[in-house]
Amino acid sequence: MTTTATEQRTRNLETVGLTKSFGGVHAVRDATVTFQHGKINALIGPNGSGKTTFFNCVTGMIKPDSGTVTFRGHDITRKAPHTIARAGIGRSFQLCRIFPRMTVLENMLVAVRPPRLRDLLGGARNPEEIDKARALLVRVGIDHLENAEARNLSYGQQKLLELAGVLMGDPDTIMLDEPAGGVNPALIGRIGTLVQELNAEGRTFLVVEHNMDMVMSLSHHVIVFDRGRPIAEGTPAVVQSDPRVLEAYLGV
Amino acid sequence: MGVALVLAFPTMAPNAYILSAGIVVASYACTATAWNFMGGFTGYVSLGHAAFFGLGAYGTGILIRDLGLPSFVAWLLAGAIVLVITIPLGIAALRVRGASFVIVSISFVLILLLVFQAWGSFTGGSDGLVVPRPFPDLLRPEHHRVFFYLFAALLAVMLLVWWAIDRSRFGTGLKAVREDEDKAQALGVPTRNYKLVAYVVSATFTGLAGGMYALWFGDLDPIFQFSIMLGSYMVLMALFGGVRHLFGPLLGALVVGTGLEYFKLEFGDTQFHLVATAILLGVVVLFMPDGIIPAVQSLVRRFGPQDSSIREMTAAELLEHNRAVAAGGATAEGTTAVGHLERRGGATPTEGQGEDVGPRRGGPGGSSRGTSERMEDAAPRPRTGPEEER
Repeated sequence: MTTTATEQRTRNLETVGLTKSFGGVHAVRDATVTFQHGKINALIGPNGSGKTTFFNCVTGMIKPDSGTVTFRGHDITRKAPHTIARAGIGRSFQLCRIFPRMTVLENMLVAVRPPRLRDLLGGARNPEEIDKARALLVRVGIDHLENAEARNLSYGQQKLLELAGVLMGDPDTIMLDEPAGGVNPALIGRIGTLVQELNAEGRTFLVVEHNMDMVMSLSHHVIVFDRGRPIAEGTPAVVQSDPRVLEAYLGV
Repeated sequence: MGVALVLAFPTMAPNAYILSAGIVVASYACTATAWNFMGGFTGYVSLGHAAFFGLGAYGTGILIRDLGLPSFVAWLLAGAIVLVITIPLGIAALRVRGASFVIVSISFVLILLLVFQAWGSFTGGSDGLVVPRPFPDLLRPEHHRVFFYLFAALLAVMLLVWWAIDRSRFGTGLKAVREDEDKAQALGVPTRNYKLVAYVVSATFTGLAGGMYALWFGDLDPIFQFSIMLGSYMVLMALFGGVRHLFGPLLGALVVGTGLEYFKLEFGDTQFHLVATAILLGVVVLFMPDGIIPAVQSLVRRFGPQDSSIREMTAAELLEHNRAVAAGGATAEGTTAVGHLERRGGATPTEGQGEDVGPRRGGPGGSSRGTSERMEDAAPRPRTGPEEER
């Protein structure tokens, strides 16, 4: 990675010295990471290397012990999760989380841009939003399940629903925690295509993933975590040949 | 029809006792519905809602006694006082979730019970507090009749508000909190504020029900107003009817409340009514965890005309499905998405919707099992689903 490339990056989401310990376990240690704007960024690393904790610190689900998180020039460290979500960072969860006892369409209507008080008391069935929700369901391919309870969907369909639900909030940056986890190869391909399409529309992605095929084919920029901090970054090709990465992953 | 029955009840009631029992049931319906603003929407189970009932009741009584306010002005003011008190209480209580919240909620009612018993000079203590009747000229049966309608009106207002919240975006947010609070927050729902509003609305309505009770009954004692039992009844009735339904708590109050009154009448000198309540709660939790409304609905669905279920498969589709699985050599895990891809790609146009959505995670079920599974799958199964596999 050359200096000029670094300068050319538009700074979208970055962390400086982010640290979080649980008791004596340093889950994230002094992590300084800059994600490339408008690109698909991947975060990889062995299990327990702090990727998910890092994710949770960025999205406000966990308050970091120290360090800062900046999003589009604003300090969002330790802000409430809903504030961060409304600032434009959408996220999915590692083990897909949807609202099981609500219908697919209701699931879609939870994430909406900051409503005014009048909207809050008005009906949830705002025609514009319903149209938008339906369009997104068509896009991920589960529109025929609109009125089904979300818990009756298959795991793969739930993953698609979760992604569609996140898109309802029009996030500028989307963080996916293991989008391919527990999903069969065909659906992985489908999710990958969706990510690429959404990226082409200008959304920045930040993907935590163990599936190396997906990471290497999808991402523009890869950041490797080991023991709570980034140890390498660069294009997929560069990272794959980095000796530190091989050591962290393969122990050679 | 329900409305007509309610309106006709005082006229049909054969004697004053039945009428007063009807009022008790109506007040139960009010408290259970009020409780459900919190319990039903957000899933936070408060066992201490009697605290707000007692505050509303004592607030009304004391305002009339000390300030000489007209009865219903005092009643409204007491409701406002409960509202204001609940804000800091809610902020404190809602910092915790689940079982911890239940315990905190119980502590409110216990603390208030002790305070109201000990502070006799202000509250009347265990000697009780006499609340002047708002209609001193009315004879007893007339008095009952008026209060029955007042409780019914209060209940109608609550049901209206519940309905409005249920269909609002605010309501969608609250239900999301019930389903998965962290997820809701990650989607931008300010969960803490939402919960607080639901809590305050719930407590205020409970307080208004308490105040109404004070005006009707006319005699308050801390041991009955700030009673764990009263709070438990609210929960039991709401659960019994079904917390996700507008009329769930009302229905629960009708059944459980009537049962309680009956048991008290028949076995009043024993504690049998408590045993009966406990048995009822056990039955509900074991066999109808979602309450009677969903249980009856699913029964109707099972024996009524079968509408298309999303898991439903025709035998032909199942066959096609099995072929696809065999041909693709896909694992059991993969079947759903294979269907997906094929539908997208249009490779197998014969496959219908049922195929695409059949989450046959248990494996490519043999066609011999098809019929029975289809029967089962047509009815919702409350405690199974993907969430269990996490």
